[in-house]
Amino acid sequence: MRAAILTDTTKCNGCHQCVAACKKENNLRLDLPRRWDLDDGLSARNWTSIVEGPKQSFVRKQCRHCLEPACVSACPVGALHKTSIGAVVYDSHKCLGCRYCMMACPYGIPRYEWQAAVPYVEKCILCYQRIIAGRQPACTEACPTKATIFGDRDELLAEAHRRMRENPGMYVNTVWGEHDVGGTSVLYISNVDLSFLTGGHSPGTRPLPATTSLAMEAVPFTFCGVLAFMAGVRWIIDRRIKLQKDETDE
Amino acid sequence: MNRVRKLKFVLWAVLGLAASAAVPRFLFGLGSSTNLSDANPWGLWVGFDVMGGVALAAGGFIVTATVYIFKLERFHAIVRPAVLTAFLGYVAVAASLLFDLGLPWNIWHMTVYWNPHSPLFEVGWCVMLYLTVLALEFLPVPAEAFPRLAKIRAVLLKARLPLVILGIGLSTLHQSSLGSLFLIMPYRLHPLWYSPLLPILFLISAIALGLSMVVFEGHVTAYLYRRKPDCDVLASLASAARWVLWIYVAVRLGDLLVRRQMQQLVMPGWRTALFWIEMAMIAVVPIALFSSSRLRRSRSGQWATATLVVLGVVLNRVDVGGLAHLRPDGVFYLPAWTEIAITAGIVAAAVLAFLFMIERFKIWEERPAGPEQDPLKLPEFEPVGNTWLGVPGVAARTTYSMAFIVAAALGLGFLHVQAAETRGLEPTPVHQARGGREVLWIDGNLDGFGVLFKHAEHEKREGGKQSCVKCHHMNFPRDQGTACSRCHRDMYLPSDAFRHDWHASPSGGRVACYQCHARGKARTAATAISCDKCHKDLVPPGALIKVKQYRAVAYTEAMHRLCIGCHITKAKEKNKPEMTRCAWCHKEKREVIDNRAIALRRRGLTAIDVLLPPPNVGKNDGEAGKSTSGD
Repeated sequence: MRAAILTDTTKCNGCHQCVAACKKENNLRLDLPRRWDLDDGLSARNWTSIVEGPKQSFVRKQCRHCLEPACVSACPVGALHKTSIGAVVYDSHKCLGCRYCMMACPYGIPRYEWQAAVPYVEKCILCYQRIIAGRQPACTEACPTKATIFGDRDELLAEAHRRMRENPGMYVNTVWGEHDVGGTSVLYISNVDLSFLTGGHSPGTRPLPATTSLAMEAVPFTFCGVLAFMAGVRWIIDRRIKLQKDETDE
Repeated sequence: MNRVRKLKFVLWAVLGLAASAAVPRFLFGLGSSTNLSDANPWGLWVGFDVMGGVALAAGGFIVTATVYIFKLERFHAIVRPAVLTAFLGYVAVAASLLFDLGLPWNIWHMTVYWNPHSPLFEVGWCVMLYLTVLALEFLPVPAEAFPRLAKIRAVLLKARLPLVILGIGLSTLHQSSLGSLFLIMPYRLHPLWYSPLLPILFLISAIALGLSMVVFEGHVTAYLYRRKPDCDVLASLASAARWVLWIYVAVRLGDLLVRRQMQQLVMPGWRTALFWIEMAMIAVVPIALFSSSRLRRSRSGQWATATLVVLGVVLNRVDVGGLAHLRPDGVFYLPAWTEIAITAGIVAAAVLAFLFMIERFKIWEERPAGPEQDPLKLPEFEPVGNTWLGVPGVAARTTYSMAFIVAAALGLGFLHVQAAETRGLEPTPVHQARGGREVLWIDGNLDGFGVLFKHAEHEKREGGKQSCVKCHHMNFPRDQGTACSRCHRDMYLPSDAFRHDWHASPSGGRVACYQCHARGKARTAATAISCDKCHKDLVPPGALIKVKQYRAVAYTEAMHRLCIGCHITKAKEKNKPEMTRCAWCHKEKREVIDNRAIALRRRGLTAIDVLLPPPNVGKNDGEAGKSTSGD
């Protein structure tokens, strides 16, 4: 099974039950307005938040759990990890605090515990501990209007397309997350354009790890090539000096 | 004082300032010692210290390649200073990483936990390996001074060629991988800087910078120690740098052309201006200056141009590292003074180590005399205090340590310790609750999420006028039922309920010191008389809250603590669990509720779904209520 969440913003009434449930499930503590917070409500103490969009819509922001996550490919020690069921989880024991995942994420999801002397990265883990215990995430369970639902990714995609088919004109004709950055596990359908979540632009359909993979694959070849080239040049120059010397000796 | 001593004095002072700035960094974390935020997770320490530092150290591999691979013996004299610069540059990078990483003690994790997909993984490995290679390349120089190390030195000298080749390979990878780091953020980096060719652009500019850095450093040290720089050798480097810069400009503009981003060059905006400044500093002006053979050979021409290239490439690194990032959320980043101090301190430490090495070991053909070790110098009186500080060595050390200590003390004084302790909480003054005895609208920060408090109902239930003291646990003199916001003056920070300065002020309380602090004793809070000696009605009997200290807790904390206790008990008594839920008290601003109700009606829902959670969730919402009720 590939776990996924489908959020239908037309059904969301912004009651924050998902936020409260998430806080409780993951033992997130008091959330005070800090200097380093963004106004989207996500923070080290809030793994999900409700953003008010245009036309009085409410959009739940959370980690998208990309199918090919940029953060996982960026983390130098593999502290972030895409599990087989689809959740992107974080291993705080490996983390060294470079914050490259925060820079790499196209949705700006991972947040940092800036206030702590021993800080960690904080982000939604799709309630991995609940999913492997056979339960659904706390947020989808808490949703009173079934605006955000949990299920298999293919089934939810089918459900999203079914809703669009059955309610013509109600939705923008896109399932956000179907192809974005190679597909994400958290899908959205909405009556408003959700690109305001990513600063007004669409993140494209190309998976982000592919942007660095070419450069990274070239590394061993470049290394060996440079070594061989330098050794070769030195050998040729040595030989020429030697030949010159022999000539002058004669 | 000569030039070197003046410079060392300043450097030690900077180091002292950095030492004081390091205190909050490790005591309170990154949030209170930097201006980094969730919008800008990387700042000056990555942009300048790491990216700039690595680029500045590029001289090492270029000069070793020139001398040991291409066998251009003319440049032999500059190998040692160049390798020393590279080594110290990399040490500085590693040191600044210890400040920048959130968990610096985990820096070794990269050796155990591998993720070869990550450019940062490769960068980390290259730093570790190249630092080792540089150390081994440089070790023969100090080993000369110690006859006991002769054997090790001989081994290292034999291994020099492989080490040099390895160093070139690692540098090539490493300089370019710093560019690869940013390939993964095409939405973050401005299109004038983002390019799939970033790794190649970084490598080319690093070569140009490395050449210019050797020229720059040659001139600076020549100025400091009053030597004559070898202008001919440096001119050849400048000439080489010119061609590299030509290639850089061609690749960079060609890349813009191929990516069809040329229109960005004339788009109005400060980033375009930044690009042009960068290009002028890296390319246009230096190429023009280095092309003139007269300027290329003149001392001032070399000086100025090399400085320009060095600053330009470092600016490029800072731009890519953060300055030229797009910020849709509009949060701009300017480094805090502590960040700048630590950066400057790391640079100062590297320069001091460089000067020490130059004076102590044979980096140049002849060692310059250290200003501290002049046996023939006459006693000199320290100009400010007019005291004799001892022989030159002792005097210098005295001055330097004084500079360090005074700067550290000043820095500690500058530290806003309270700001550091609040960990990023901005002061939020509380606005008094509106309304009257009947109903109060409690919304301290006026954000619309407040509490409609039925004051009269509570009063009646608790037993009429006698019950006021239960909640109004402390009153202003000659007042009853003082508003909470008079003492709890900040939403999230504790405030001082006892206003000492007001009491002591001639225009305020007009209380003389001895009236509170007994004569002949230290004037501290411990020796002061208790407040109720004067204010008989300050703390009425029968209050729910016992005043222990006159440091009022934050407004939100005070309100929640006061209400939630009773609400939990009453909820159990009356079997009404919803009384403990956030939404029982926190209802929203009138128009918000109205707007929402309209939106809901359109969707066939009722307002009760918003304001009250469904009964099946939140059985033990007591704790959840506490945790979410930040506003």
